Amino acid sequence: MTPLIKFIDFNFSYLDSPTPILKNINLEIKEGEFVLLVGPSGCGKSTLLRCINGLIPHLYSGVYKGKVIVDGEQVSEKNISTLATKVGFVFQNPENQIFMFTVEKDIVFGLENIGVDKEEIGRRLEWALKILNIEHLRYRAPYELSDGQKQRVAIAGTLVMHPKILILDEPTSLLDPKTAYEFISTLKELNRSIGITIIVVEHRIDLLPKVADRMIVMDGGQIVFDGPFKDIIKEKNLHLYGVTVPPIISLQNTLSESGVNLPGYSLDVRSFSEMIKKEVFRND
Amino acid sequence: MFWIAEGLIYRRQDSVFHTIDPRIKLLISMMLFFLSLVSSTIVEFSIILVLIFFIGALSKTLKRMVRTFVFSLSFLAMIFVINILVGYDIMFSIIISLRFISVVSSTSIFFLTSSPDELELVMKSFYLPYDLIFAFVTAVRFVPVIMLDAIQILDSQRSRGLEIEKGNFIKRIKNYIPVLIPLIVQAIIRSEELAEAMESRAYGFSKKKTSYYSLHLRKRDYFAATVAICFMIVFIYAIYFLHI
Amino acid sequence: MIEVKQLYFKYPTMKDYVLKNINIKIELGQIVAIMGSNGSGKTTLIKHFNGLLKPNEGYVKVFGKDTQDESVAALSRKVGLVFQNPDHQIFSDTVWNEVTFALKNFGFEEEVIKKRVKWALEFFNLIQYKDTSPLLLSGGEKKRLCLASILAWDPDYIVLDEPTVGQDFLQKEKLREVIKMLITRNKTVIIVSHDIEFIWLLQPRIILLSNGEVVKDDVCANVFKDDASIDKCGVIKPQFVELFDHLAPLLPHPPLDVLEARSTFLKLMKKGG
Repeated sequence: MTPLIKFIDFNFSYLDSPTPILKNINLEIKEGEFVLLVGPSGCGKSTLLRCINGLIPHLYSGVYKGKVIVDGEQVSEKNISTLATKVGFVFQNPENQIFMFTVEKDIVFGLENIGVDKEEIGRRLEWALKILNIEHLRYRAPYELSDGQKQRVAIAGTLVMHPKILILDEPTSLLDPKTAYEFISTLKELNRSIGITIIVVEHRIDLLPKVADRMIVMDGGQIVFDGPFKDIIKEKNLHLYGVTVPPIISLQNTLSESGVNLPGYSLDVRSFSEMIKKEVFRND
Repeated sequence: MFWIAEGLIYRRQDSVFHTIDPRIKLLISMMLFFLSLVSSTIVEFSIILVLIFFIGALSKTLKRMVRTFVFSLSFLAMIFVINILVGYDIMFSIIISLRFISVVSSTSIFFLTSSPDELELVMKSFYLPYDLIFAFVTAVRFVPVIMLDAIQILDSQRSRGLEIEKGNFIKRIKNYIPVLIPLIVQAIIRSEELAEAMESRAYGFSKKKTSYYSLHLRKRDYFAATVAICFMIVFIYAIYFLHI
Repeated sequence: MIEVKQLYFKYPTMKDYVLKNINIKIELGQIVAIMGSNGSGKTTLIKHFNGLLKPNEGYVKVFGKDTQDESVAALSRKVGLVFQNPDHQIFSDTVWNEVTFALKNFGFEEEVIKKRVKWALEFFNLIQYKDTSPLLLSGGEKKRLCLASILAWDPDYIVLDEPTVGQDFLQKEKLREVIKMLITRNKTVIIVSHDIEFIWLLQPRIILLSNGEVVKDDVCANVFKDDASIDKCGVIKPQFVELFDHLAPLLPHPPLDVLEARSTFLKLMKKGG
């Protein structure tokens, strides 16, 4: 299967900065993957995301070397509006991505821009409201919404474009833990039900073990780790790349460093506890 | 947290008047505005003001309407006093003050009963360029957001010992610098983020932009428009030909 | 001491109270975390601590003085607030001047200002930027600068609103060190945060808010035992508390950190093996 997103020997630097922000990126992402992208602040992860939906080079210009291919077409040769139908982008601050006075009007904003006819707009609107469970918010104004609800509205506004890829740049940083947890679960639901490819930058990794398939760690404009989530999260020095490793995973790492042979590796507390119980009681 | 912007924003309410087509609401508002300009006697102003208050009551916005000119009372007093001082007689000063009240409250009819969305539709129906409409819409949309920024910035600086009301005139102006600079920086950051979000949702593609919403005149709209126009004709006829 | 008694508060044009019947006392030398879902009134509450907001009913007293009778500037001298977004306060031409701003407002002597600012910038590894524009700093550096600009005047209470948002692991470790250091100097640190694992490592007293009311006010360990309350406040359990719930008879108490957990488990495994 050909990858949905492909970076080939890609380098980029902003015009006003002498140092390259992305160095020699080679990356392939397949359709339907759920990718977690992490790294310290300033490592280039936000820039990488902006190369996928064409904000770079169309809105921000700079020195652009190599190729970025999305859904078979070169990003630099497509205009940004065409890319908007392939790549949905949800930003960190929900306030700045809702333009209209009602949820409904905001959701149809993109569709009006690309000239979808009225009946189709209606259909997609109903679908998006339903799939994100925000039908009750339909006629609300942005200032009547909580931050979590705003993020859902923002997703709806991109989903109606039927993109193949959904990119989220630190979407939960303003949400309380429970809301953040529900939000991430919604993402997983979308990933499963409509098969949309998801790339998310997220500091709260404890929310993601059961959700992400793949983990990419960046530092200094380069990819330092890339692989299945369950393998990468075991890496010893992740904290040096700014990653806050969930305690349950740190614990297993330090135990295995101390010579303990655990029968398996658990990503969440429940299965770790099961494992420990079995281990301890078997030996009793 | 949006308490501060309450007075600025349209509040959703249900009334017969709210459901009228926004173009007709604009027509009624403008008509009363025009009549306020041509009127010149206490009787005429009384008729106009009664009508405005009637619409206010009908649309359940009377309280807010009254609040608007309680707010402008000092301004009103100033107009009155200046007129007296300049040498006009009391009668004339009263007329000028009444004109001020009816001009202000007639425009407020439209803004108190039409949502920004409706305003956008009205602008669209006049075939204004979409860029202009969108700029207007986002500007109105972000007024409360920027107000909140301002409050937050003021709170931050007051927490660092800034006393905005302290000092002489020059010092007071200087006191605003620590508030204004972050406010401008914040506005720039917001506008950059907005630009990104707009681009990401195909803004400007617009070769064949469609519109999901459109305005349709219904029976009651024609009725309201007819009543309004008839009233205006009768009123003007009465002023100029019957000299009431 | 900060003493809040029967505090009720609502914004002028709103019908409902944002804070209802709040009663808390915060002594010196404590770490206090204020947690709760978005819109539960956390930020509104901390704005009462230095008089930015004044109660409609009840009172807030800072070192015995009612906030109604004191200016925000005078109260801020004792209670330093660091808000979430650094861009809401940064305005100076240089990093150095950003930190001197408050000290000048409080009328410190020129010599003292120099000493304090130098200390604060060195402490937060920002001294090399002293002549650059603070707007050019990275997000993490800006956050550190804001903290430096408050610690420079040495307030007794330091109130931090969401200090870990957007911070990576190393920056959070640094912040934790700063908090520990402040406690050894008998300061009180009040943190509003959603970052549960960060809070767990600090083992603070936790005040849970929901809909403007205090739901729970207790030491960290007890608060996380109260499933109903934390659920009501949009909080979830730290992983080690969840671990303890699953393995209760095997563990003496929820491990405080990874090191403690490791030694507990090593013992457990040895006993088993």
